[in-house]
Amino acid sequence: MHVWVRVVIVLALFLTLGGLFVHAEVTEEKWSPYPDAADLSAEYDSYVGQRVMVFGTVTAISEDRIEIKAESDGTTVPLGVTGASTAAEPGGVVQVYGTLEPEQTIAAERVEVINSSRWVEFYKYGASAVGALGFLLLFFRHWRIDRDTWTLEARDG
Amino acid sequence: MADLLTHLLVPYILLTIASGGVGWLDQRWIVVGMGGAAIPDLVKVEIVVHEETVEALLGIPFTYKPLSTLGGVLLLSGIIAVAFERRHWRRVFGLVTFGGLTSLLLDGMRVYADGRASAWLYPFTSWRPPTPSLYVSSDPTVLVVALFAAGTVAVIDRRIQAGN
Repeated sequence: MHVWVRVVIVLALFLTLGGLFVHAEVTEEKWSPYPDAADLSAEYDSYVGQRVMVFGTVTAISEDRIEIKAESDGTTVPLGVTGASTAAEPGGVVQVYGTLEPEQTIAAERVEVINSSRWVEFYKYGASAVGALGFLLLFFRHWRIDRDTWTLEARDG
Repeated sequence: MADLLTHLLVPYILLTIASGGVGWLDQRWIVVGMGGAAIPDLVKVEIVVHEETVEALLGIPFTYKPLSTLGGVLLLSGIIAVAFERRHWRRVFGLVTFGGLTSLLLDGMRVYADGRASAWLYPFTSWRPPTPSLYVSSDPTVLVVALFAAGTVAVIDRRIQAGN
């Protein structure tokens, strides 16, 4: 197999993937039924009364209200969540499902903890780093790159 | 999503069990299948290069989300397969796709507040499969269970190998 045939195939597949990266964003509403933080920031009032599901970082917790900061595409929206309690601490991440009410408030039906505190994020990245390193070591114990053909070859033939 | 280590361990467990009945499925092929499990995690490239940065550079809407979907897994499995010798393409594609699917399925079983996983069958259908809400991704129990199962499978596999 000529190297250029493989290059053409890889380029075609990458271009298709790039196409999906654009297509998925253009047609976003078809794949995720809820407004994201950018939508809420742009035209909050048009979503009032609708069901929403947002991810947000907890900023403060009071007796009857959880303050969160939802983020998407670089836009941040502060929201107050009522009608639910959470085990998350400030700095943790929660998922909120409920009805959007006026004045930056969600009447929650369900609040799920994604990260109970900001430290949990480090645990996940730590475990993932161990996984990545272990995988690379394991992979290149069995496979090597043949510099003549630029293919991956089994080490033991 | 579950962490990368958990994602890698799931196809290791399943493929090692399957290797008992499939002669060619040895360690080096199992490792290839494990690689596929990392594909949906590539969506985290967002941490390195933000989507907004790409959008600003190219001037078009852009999201990495397809990496964590069936479409992304199939395309990257193709790209990875082509990196191998021609005679291995079919096998590599199958194994890598399998690994990617295990990650998508595992992630599709985590908790979503509205009871529905993301549309990970993109771009084939916008249907959001119901999730059994088995776990949240930050729960270390998931990794502990995966590590325990992988360890058990590895020990049994070694015994069988030694017995042959």
